[in-house]
Amino acid sequence: MSAEARGHRRQDRPPVLGIAGLTIEFATRRGAARVVDDVTLDVWPQEIVGLIGESGSGKTMTALAVLGLLPRTARITTGDIRLSGASLLGLPEAQLRTIRGRQIAMIPQNPMSALNPVLRVGAQVGEPYVLHRGADWKTALTQAVRRLADVHLPLPDERASEYPHQFSGGMQQRAMTAMAIALDPPLLVADEPTTALDVTIQAQILRLLREIRDEHHTSMLFITHDLAVVAEMCDWVYVMYAGRILEQGSVERIFARPGHPYTQALLRATPTGEAAQAELISIPGSIPSPVDLPRGCRFVDRCPYRFKHCDEEPPLLTVEADHTARCWLVETHG
Amino acid sequence: MWRLIATRLAAFVPTVLATSLVLFVTVNVVPGSAAKAALGIDATAQAIARFEHEQGLDRPLHVQYLDWLGKAVRGDFGTSFQNHLPVGPELVSRLPVTLELAILAFLIANAIAVPLGALAAYHHQQRLDSVISVFATVLGAVPSFWLATVLILILALTVKVLPAGGYVPFAENPAKNVSLFIMPALSLGLVSSALLLRVMRAKMIEVLSSDYIHTALAKGAAPNVVIWRHALQNALITFLTVGAVEFGWLFGGVVIIEDIFLLPGVGQLVLVGIINRDYPVLLASALTVTVVVLAANMVVDLVAAVLDPRQVHARSRA
Amino acid sequence: MSVQLAQRERHWVGRSAVHWRRFRLLLIGGCLVGLVVLSAILADVISPYSPYDIDVAIKLQPPNRAHWLGTDEFGRDVLSRVIHAARISVKVAAVAVSVGLIGGGVIGIAAGYFGGPVDMVLMRFMELLFSFPAILLAIVLMAVLGTSILNAMTAIGIIFIPGFSRLARAATQDVLRQQYIEAAHTVGMSDVRILTREILPNIITPLFVEAMAAFAYAVLLESSLSFLGLGAQPPEPSWGNMLNTGRGFMDQAPWLGVVPGMAMLIGVLGFNLLGDGLRDVFDPRLREAA
Repeated sequence: MSAEARGHRRQDRPPVLGIAGLTIEFATRRGAARVVDDVTLDVWPQEIVGLIGESGSGKTMTALAVLGLLPRTARITTGDIRLSGASLLGLPEAQLRTIRGRQIAMIPQNPMSALNPVLRVGAQVGEPYVLHRGADWKTALTQAVRRLADVHLPLPDERASEYPHQFSGGMQQRAMTAMAIALDPPLLVADEPTTALDVTIQAQILRLLREIRDEHHTSMLFITHDLAVVAEMCDWVYVMYAGRILEQGSVERIFARPGHPYTQALLRATPTGEAAQAELISIPGSIPSPVDLPRGCRFVDRCPYRFKHCDEEPPLLTVEADHTARCWLVETHG
Repeated sequence: MWRLIATRLAAFVPTVLATSLVLFVTVNVVPGSAAKAALGIDATAQAIARFEHEQGLDRPLHVQYLDWLGKAVRGDFGTSFQNHLPVGPELVSRLPVTLELAILAFLIANAIAVPLGALAAYHHQQRLDSVISVFATVLGAVPSFWLATVLILILALTVKVLPAGGYVPFAENPAKNVSLFIMPALSLGLVSSALLLRVMRAKMIEVLSSDYIHTALAKGAAPNVVIWRHALQNALITFLTVGAVEFGWLFGGVVIIEDIFLLPGVGQLVLVGIINRDYPVLLASALTVTVVVLAANMVVDLVAAVLDPRQVHARSRA
Repeated sequence: MSVQLAQRERHWVGRSAVHWRRFRLLLIGGCLVGLVVLSAILADVISPYSPYDIDVAIKLQPPNRAHWLGTDEFGRDVLSRVIHAARISVKVAAVAVSVGLIGGGVIGIAAGYFGGPVDMVLMRFMELLFSFPAILLAIVLMAVLGTSILNAMTAIGIIFIPGFSRLARAATQDVLRQQYIEAAHTVGMSDVRILTREILPNIITPLFVEAMAAFAYAVLLESSLSFLGLGAQPPEPSWGNMLNTGRGFMDQAPWLGVVPGMAMLIGVLGFNLLGDGLRDVFDPRLREAA
């Protein structure tokens, strides 16, 4: 999607998901650990927005915050999370429960462990109908079979009465997808949905997700560490590092002209042509500890272009229309 | 599913046989002790030799065992040294008492352990969990026979609510029968419940941190749905297997409990066998108690397996 | 993954709180155990009276200033008897646990080290022993061996062998999997050397923790045996036989039944807490096991 198209949508209504200045902290023995730091992120209708970062970047915490499922020891210190304009923070748990599964649904990384081994697949896929629409189980199971067909699971009525361990990995992820789209939620949060799958199955699942976006008009927040997937799936991408957004913009622009050295390094490490499987991005050095964050740019220890100004943290600077990066080099190079 | 049951049963039989062998060897391992027990310590060497010959105790041990086994399988457990009556019928008449005690104690133990353990797990790292855990730790350290004594003191002697001992068959007087079993079952069951509670809590904590629980939460399930529909069955599967073993260990205390409460069960017979140095009685009754424990283990194991679809249905497809 | 990350964070955050609380377990357990062990060692010194002095004139007195825990049916001071009884419990428990440790350790290490048929035979036999209700096995052994304190130590010790053997075997296999054993072999160290140098130090911690739990159980078993008259014989005081005789006087002198049981509770609880505390301090990984 071009920046213009996105800007056009902006006039119509609020984003499906609006995260503004979100900061999440944990209390530790050595002080506060800030794992998400002033993150602003938008997902517009029918957009697939990528959130890319290494492990420890805070991307998963962000996803958990959206669902309202942060661990008890985490605290949102500032910021807001809005769903179609309405704030989610401060809502009572009972109300959040009506939103989970119905307005926001999740597709997790590991479908085998995400499915309950003692319940039949059909019951698990149909459960949202029981939880949110007050349906009886018979109706729910009928709907479940329909959904399993929607995700192209062959012989869905037979599969529905089977147990998760009887499914292959690809089938399990299709079932999780069916579960997520059961009530046609406007927003899907996919947390590395293909990382645990075979390469061939990956492609199928990604195709399925795009189909869902097209046919059901669902928006997606797609969390990954894999740039190749971003290239294939996403319209817009946010690059996250040590809790901060380092760069954001349309996928074409970022891939054509990455503004931040971190993004440049990511692109070098996993060229978009190939599907990369590596969990660890081979950039020397490591992420700063969330308890001990540097005052300047977070990437400075690993950056090949660091210079004196980098001990003051840059704001998000404009690279081009609706493409910003958090690096002083953007100013100098234009 | 039937294959599951069949395999468990098939494994049960050799275990029982091995158990009987161990007990048999244990009881007969000390030469001359049986004779001395029956005839008295001052028995002459000749008397001992004659006795041993009569009882077939001078044959090699494996021959004795096979002989005993052959008879035992047909229900003949020998005759008591003490009163020269056959042991078998005595066992049969006493077995229902022990079984009733076992079942009641088991029910009490689980009725307490499962809900409280799940509750503690759900409130992990909060006050309720600590309270329940401390309670379980202390209760688990209480000797069951002391608990029995204290219960008698309070409920039978002070408040005079329950009878202190004795037995009445259920068919004869259901109310009296139950009232006579309450304290014995509590003595065994309460202490077991403490240990089982810790197991249930641990398993439930494990389950509650699983990915599929997170999925349920992400679907918007409320806490009671999460616990009852998603967590409980998973926790029970591992809990039952471990819990059965723990309960089995404690059930040896049935010997003491039956003695305290004057319940004419197989456990009491073990003591009779010991006091009278009556080896056939001791062997047969000890074996019966152990088999009851093993059978209970097997049944609980089976229930756990049946609860687990991964055991009941075929393995995954390609 | 998201849950695991959350968990990892949670553990990291909670660690300080967890450690402090766990030292508390160790401390409480240590105090209780200390109380019991000191009573056992210093029994003669700290007892107000002799446990054997009969004085029928003052029999069955409730707790009073002269006799803090009252007197029994022979006028003997209950407190003194309880303190001396600790000696029996600790002695029997110590020897029994040692027997179990050494026997179980040898069998377990042998099974783990030699593997194959040796392993199978040994562990099958251990499993079999393990499936017996402990108290029952102890009772049968005592009946066969004869009632004496030495036999009680042996009987209880035998009961502990399977538990320790399982642990020793697992730890041995764990250590064997690590590569420095290969290195030691190539350098030409003898088997025995390997066993003592490499395997033993790694096994010490879990074995010690299990030993504490065994101590607790040994106290319970010894009390059970003497309750049935199969352990310490009168006039030797043991918590078990004191409870047994006390039972007969429950309506006249309830403290005779209650007090020995409290002592048992303190002993068993103390060793349990000490074991839990040690485990949590030295090897928190073991905690999730039942």
